[in-house]
Amino acid sequence: MSRVIPTTVGSYPRPPWFREYLRKVEGLQKEGGGGIDEATYAKAVAEVIREQRDAGVKVFTDGQLLWHDLLCYLATRIDGFEMNGLVRYFDNNLYYRIPKVKARLERKRNIIVDEFRVAYSIEREMKAVLSCFTLATLSEDEFYGNKADLVMDIAHIMNQEAKELVKRGAKYIQIDEPSLLYAEKEDLSIMKDAIEVIRQDVDAKFFLVTYFSDAERIFPEVLDFNVDVIGLDFVEGYEKNLDLLREYGVDKEIQAGVVDGRTTKMEDEEQVRRKVEAIDEIVDGETLYVSPNTGLEFLPYSKASEKLKVLCRSVGDINE
Amino acid sequence: MNRRLLPTTVVGSYPKPNWLRRLIREYEKGEISDKVMRRAYDDAVKAVVKEQELAGVDILWDGEMRRDEMTSYFARRIEGFTIYGEVRVWGNNYYPKPAIVDELRYKDELAVSDYKFLRKITDHEIKVPITGPYTLVDWSFNEYYRTREEAVYALAEVINQELRRLVDEGANYIQIDDPAVPTHPEEIEVAKNSIEIVTRGVNAYIGMHMCYGDYSKIYPEILEFNVDQIDLEFANRGFKDVEIFKEYEFTKDLGFGCIDVHTRRIESVEEIKDNIRKAFSIVEPKRVYVDPDCGLKLLPSEVAFEKLRNMCQAARELREELEG
Repeated sequence: MSRVIPTTVGSYPRPPWFREYLRKVEGLQKEGGGGIDEATYAKAVAEVIREQRDAGVKVFTDGQLLWHDLLCYLATRIDGFEMNGLVRYFDNNLYYRIPKVKARLERKRNIIVDEFRVAYSIEREMKAVLSCFTLATLSEDEFYGNKADLVMDIAHIMNQEAKELVKRGAKYIQIDEPSLLYAEKEDLSIMKDAIEVIRQDVDAKFFLVTYFSDAERIFPEVLDFNVDVIGLDFVEGYEKNLDLLREYGVDKEIQAGVVDGRTTKMEDEEQVRRKVEAIDEIVDGETLYVSPNTGLEFLPYSKASEKLKVLCRSVGDINE
Repeated sequence: MNRRLLPTTVVGSYPKPNWLRRLIREYEKGEISDKVMRRAYDDAVKAVVKEQELAGVDILWDGEMRRDEMTSYFARRIEGFTIYGEVRVWGNNYYPKPAIVDELRYKDELAVSDYKFLRKITDHEIKVPITGPYTLVDWSFNEYYRTREEAVYALAEVINQELRRLVDEGANYIQIDDPAVPTHPEEIEVAKNSIEIVTRGVNAYIGMHMCYGDYSKIYPEILEFNVDQIDLEFANRGFKDVEIFKEYEFTKDLGFGCIDVHTRRIESVEEIKDNIRKAFSIVEPKRVYVDPDCGLKLLPSEVAFEKLRNMCQAARELREELEG
């Protein structure tokens, strides 16, 4: 039996008071931005960390409280991107501005380092969440003209960012890649190389996390990716992902998304527990991370903690 | 219905007057009574209807002064829904996302009294917009029904009851707002069946409004929906989508969104005339209804008015040209 550790994937709904605050200082339009008071932000982060901790989470995220454009938020901090019209984020009723690549991408300032610093000062077991392939895929490229070059430049930028993050104490770097689940085979070899770039000289535990679907398209190639943990969605792809793990085996740790981060319907704890046990039987990593399948910002604030409590209670005594 | 060529209409919402917003805030804090609030809504509707009339709109609605938003407003009035809190749509924009927690049942009227009030204060033709069951379910959590499909059909029965009541009261033009349909082409059959249920026994002209989404994925399938008119946005994407509809014969009336509601720029009369002419490459002019892409509520009211006025002027001039 592995050690089972509850964790979160990334986003967390903003505390209602902070949502109102942002609405006031940033407005509602696409332009937005600016003027956020750091102490106010820190208070909001502390609150969503407390919510996670009270529910029983052991490895945290900062909730991405400033990320207006979901993963594409990262593009707003990278030179060479311009943010454009709104489009739907996968199959969710949630929208982001399409980043357009207008020039060679460069990291001229911190991307999430400043946010990480705030979160890390509150909680040390903090994952830093980045993205590479998905960011490239959701963008419109008007500069590179070929995906491999685009992905590689983003990988170099993420490598610089990861180094900064580790300097500030980060032990866990998570790369969110939902788009990989819809990728072509040749994309997988691009991403494999990109991960080598991102990891270079970065001393941290690396998570590659996928969600919104099963992982059929990335198996078995993903097993050769140089990451320590693979995150799979066991809500949208439970049977299929189990089959894949059975068929190919896995010598990495797994982060299993076992409760549905996109519905207020609460899972039966006994069923979740059986799911976790079934996964645990197949994988033999030292640790099995369990989480909601997605970030939690699809839920109203009060339901996010309820969902995490269901998750944590269902594996509550599994380690004993 | 008595139809002139190129009738002008609105999709539904209109900017709320600032004074109304303030009163709503005070009402929510419990500072003013139900009765005062009701009167304020009535006054706002009168003002907004007058604006639409001045702009030259032929077929109008009450600007949705009483509706806060197109999902939760209806969900609060239908048995089986609850609302836990707000969920983000993008940036700092949120909506109270309903959850289906019990069997969906008709509880209270949704638009009948709004229609009756409007009927009293205008001689213009009226269109009653109501959110479709497919969209209501797609934009809600489902904790009760085994499948989305079951939830959609149960809700379609509820909306059907409302439409029958509306027709009993004299409504003859109903618009089903279903922006979620083009976003799930894989469930187009479910959406189609839901419209079948919604319109069963409803003796009125039925339009269906869909904005956002990739129209190429639902065309020509949407021609099989049991509606008289399909109303779409075109200005938002620079009329690129016109091409999609040329491929098959468009067998419905076309609501042609010809002004962009996502920009404050006021399109000139000439520009709008050119826009409307693009519709004629899809259907003949007598099947075209002229309207904005979507509701106008996000615009400042003076901008909304200018845009509408130019749109109506453009339609009028084209009408004269066509009728010679």
